[in-house]
Amino acid sequence: MIVEIKNAVCRFGDITAVDGISLEVDKGDVVCIIGPSGSGKSTLLRCLNALEDIQEGEIVIDGFRIDRRYKEIHQIRLEVGMVFQSFNLFPHLTVLKNVNLAQRVVRKRKRDEATRISKELLGKVGLTEKINAFPGQLSGGQKQRVAIARALAMNPKIMLFDEVTSALDPEMIGEVLEVMKQLAREGMTMLVVTHEIGFAREVADRIIFIDEGKIVEAGTPEQVLDNPQNQRTRDFLGKVL
Amino acid sequence: MNWLVEQLGILSKIFYFLIQVVHWTIIISVLAYFIALVCGLLFGIARITNNRFIRWLAGAYINVLRGVPLLVLIFFFYFGLGKIINLDRLVAGVLAVGVCYGAYMAEIFRSGIEAIDYGQHEAAMSLGMTRWQTLRYIILPQSFRIVVPPAANEFIACLKDSSLVSIIGLRELTRAGREYANQYFLDFQTWLMVGLIYLILTLSLTRLVKVLEKKFAVHGYGMEKK
Repeated sequence: MIVEIKNAVCRFGDITAVDGISLEVDKGDVVCIIGPSGSGKSTLLRCLNALEDIQEGEIVIDGFRIDRRYKEIHQIRLEVGMVFQSFNLFPHLTVLKNVNLAQRVVRKRKRDEATRISKELLGKVGLTEKINAFPGQLSGGQKQRVAIARALAMNPKIMLFDEVTSALDPEMIGEVLEVMKQLAREGMTMLVVTHEIGFAREVADRIIFIDEGKIVEAGTPEQVLDNPQNQRTRDFLGKVL
Repeated sequence: MNWLVEQLGILSKIFYFLIQVVHWTIIISVLAYFIALVCGLLFGIARITNNRFIRWLAGAYINVLRGVPLLVLIFFFYFGLGKIINLDRLVAGVLAVGVCYGAYMAEIFRSGIEAIDYGQHEAAMSLGMTRWQTLRYIILPQSFRIVVPPAANEFIACLKDSSLVSIIGLRELTRAGREYANQYFLDFQTWLMVGLIYLILTLSLTRLVKVLEKKFAVHGYGMEKK
């Protein structure tokens, strides 16, 4: 078991975004998290990376408790790769430097080694020709693939994807999902918040439906998507399918 | 016609007189601005740290130095502090202008840092960078581009305000102008020429800033900003 969430609660003032969620993820599992907007699925993902605090409960990743008050939190964070909806590439750096930077300053790799790894990963996501471009010169799909390569360069133990295709034009969604499918095939542990039900059906080992901060339904894609037991799951799927 | 030639002769004489001290105006403003940059960066960052005491300290520095007239600061540094710890005119004058502009620069740096999308912090942190690494490699390089125009404005203002240090006897442009005017009773021509030289300095700076801004521009940079 690589991720263990026990009864996590995350509040913003009066609003409880994550309301007592427990979840266990094994190494190599792909877990897709679906649910209406504002249901707390992104917040849950952000808690896993200590971008948000949990007020109750416990999150343990690969034996480390996630708590942003720890001085070493940035050390733990680098085991957890994250890809954002809004890409968040560093606009003042070229594609290659975007992927190199954290390898150099965090992983302390030599320039040659970092560059070799970056080129290999950028090749894998199909962006070999773009290594000297700036993010502003790329399409949304290309940006998101750079962001994936950047996260992978840190050799994370798990990858978090936070609605990574939601800001993309329809024709670019496929290229990003393809990269994610390949990752899943290679055995990467992935937690994916997504609205792409088709993608979830294809790659997920488990699908979790979250509403109002709680897990409403969880199971294999067949169980959750084809045979939902809960009325709220049925309503949601009725709207998105 | 004769009158015009005579006037031009007077003006050029004044010009040659003043141009011999113009380097002092430049030295004072450059040194003061350098202090302002260092103070500004330091206190600008201090203003947004997690430590409440450091934040308060930076806030106090900014509010106090912005709230006191520069002329009073110059008097304080030269006549007040200067008499106690024996400060030279130049040191006192430069320090006074420097720390005063440091307060303005701190606010410029702070706003420059805060203008960067929070997603940049999150992306850097999720890659395992510490706060300092994030600031150094991600936030500040982007802030500098935002900060260049207002910071350049401050340099122009700083150059103009360097004329205030003439009051403690530093022989820069304004001081020399006063000497000349008092000696030859040519107030109109002298102050016209002093103003003109300041204008030449500030206008050439404006041009320089335009060149710098172009140089720092990155293709397609605006697209990534929200």
